[in-house]
Amino acid sequence: MEDLAPRVAAYLAHRMPAASNIEVSGVSRIHGGASRETFRLRASWEEGGTRVERALILRRDPVASLIETERDLEYNAYRAFHPTGLPVPEPLYLETDLKWLDRPFFVMEQIEGCAAGSAFNDDPYGAHAGKIGRQFWTHLGHISAADPQAIGFSANMEPVAPDECWARELEKWEKVIDEDELVPQPVARAAIRWLKRNPPPPTEKISVVHGDYRTGNFLFDGEGNIRAILDWEMCHLGDPLEDVAWAADPLWAFKQPERPGGMIAREEAFRLWEEASGMKIDPVRLRWWEIFNSLKGLAIWISAGKEYQTGANRDPVLAFSSWYCTDVHDRVLAKRLAALSKEARA
Amino acid sequence: MKPDVGVVMQGFFGTLLGDVAPHLSAEYSMGHVGIMGLMLHMTGELHDRAADIRLAENSEMRSLFSHAAALVEDEALKQRLTSAAETLDASLRISVLEANNAELAALLIELQTHVEGSQASWAAGLEARIWDYLVATMERRELPFPSFG
Repeated sequence: MEDLAPRVAAYLAHRMPAASNIEVSGVSRIHGGASRETFRLRASWEEGGTRVERALILRRDPVASLIETERDLEYNAYRAFHPTGLPVPEPLYLETDLKWLDRPFFVMEQIEGCAAGSAFNDDPYGAHAGKIGRQFWTHLGHISAADPQAIGFSANMEPVAPDECWARELEKWEKVIDEDELVPQPVARAAIRWLKRNPPPPTEKISVVHGDYRTGNFLFDGEGNIRAILDWEMCHLGDPLEDVAWAADPLWAFKQPERPGGMIAREEAFRLWEEASGMKIDPVRLRWWEIFNSLKGLAIWISAGKEYQTGANRDPVLAFSSWYCTDVHDRVLAKRLAALSKEARA
Repeated sequence: MKPDVGVVMQGFFGTLLGDVAPHLSAEYSMGHVGIMGLMLHMTGELHDRAADIRLAENSEMRSLFSHAAALVEDEALKQRLTSAAETLDASLRISVLEANNAELAALLIELQTHVEGSQASWAAGLEARIWDYLVATMERRELPFPSFG
């Protein structure tokens, strides 16, 4: 395995000219997060006569990934939300010069003493499920309520009109399926046709959309406090109900359909989101985004399967998500679309 | 082949999670081992039913096409449905069954798209039959997933 420590130390020396005797230790790759290589490490240095030590996270672009994303989107999301009080790590450096670590990367604060719940665990939060769930949905409400321009999120973001959010996202993920499917996908294709035939009403507000807000993508401490909302690599501007539907998608903690993500009941979750966001959930729009998100999931898992099959990336998590997550989302979508088809023909 | 493939895969799953993973020091490697063990568990069960699932799907799609060919008015589609309904699985190798399955699934997409746009008296019934097939096949393909809760 490559020794990143001296290379990271050289980079930190470049970014911190006032620091001396920089040492980097404990570089350890974190499992999961197949869209980025993620490493935790400790850096220490002398500055102003004292020894400083800091735990850091380094997120580096992979050779190929679960999802093709731009690392500056994620970094800019952290930069926009960190001053707002939303629990996100402090972003420190974004680097696109390949000379340092061969690929672009960014460095941020490491939130220590926390864990992430597994999206595939039946009960990822145990006794803290209620407390964590209430924070989870309230934080999402605050993300949805944020003014993207005022917090600096919109800079370099592609703008979108309220009546175009759905079409832009659908086009993006349909293209992924077109390019990456290894076998014909009858359920995904039926979903695409349904989504095009039944466009949602325009969103009442263009919001920050996290794009992957779910169980597994935040850290919580031993007292059940959410300490960091992570994995913003698919963030964009759009309809806030896109995030609501993704967070409530049945894939996360699949065996607990009444408690999205293995946290709190769907009704309470949505009420908390409405209170925090100041918006009401339109059931017609929500249904569209629910079906869209199961399709988006399929697109991601199909793409992961292609990466693995072609040898572009042999991370086992890609093979797993292509098998298991495709299996769940195909079933969820087939049942839902079958019911909608019968309703429409009745 | 003894011990049975399913038994061996389940055994490997247990060995990886119980004996190998606890002795790894790198979190990243432990994660890999966990996922590989889980996929061995799935493979153990899929191995036994993989051919049966694909054979059943291919047979049901051909039956569906035979039924649809008698209904649709589009001559070109009718001809393709008739031809596909008459095909056979010449081998029980998974690779052969999967290739046939993919060809049939592509035609199923075309048929379903056609039916959705039709207001003919037979359209609702055929659309429902296609969905019944898709729901059943997704249920049949459900992967085993051990509980970690």
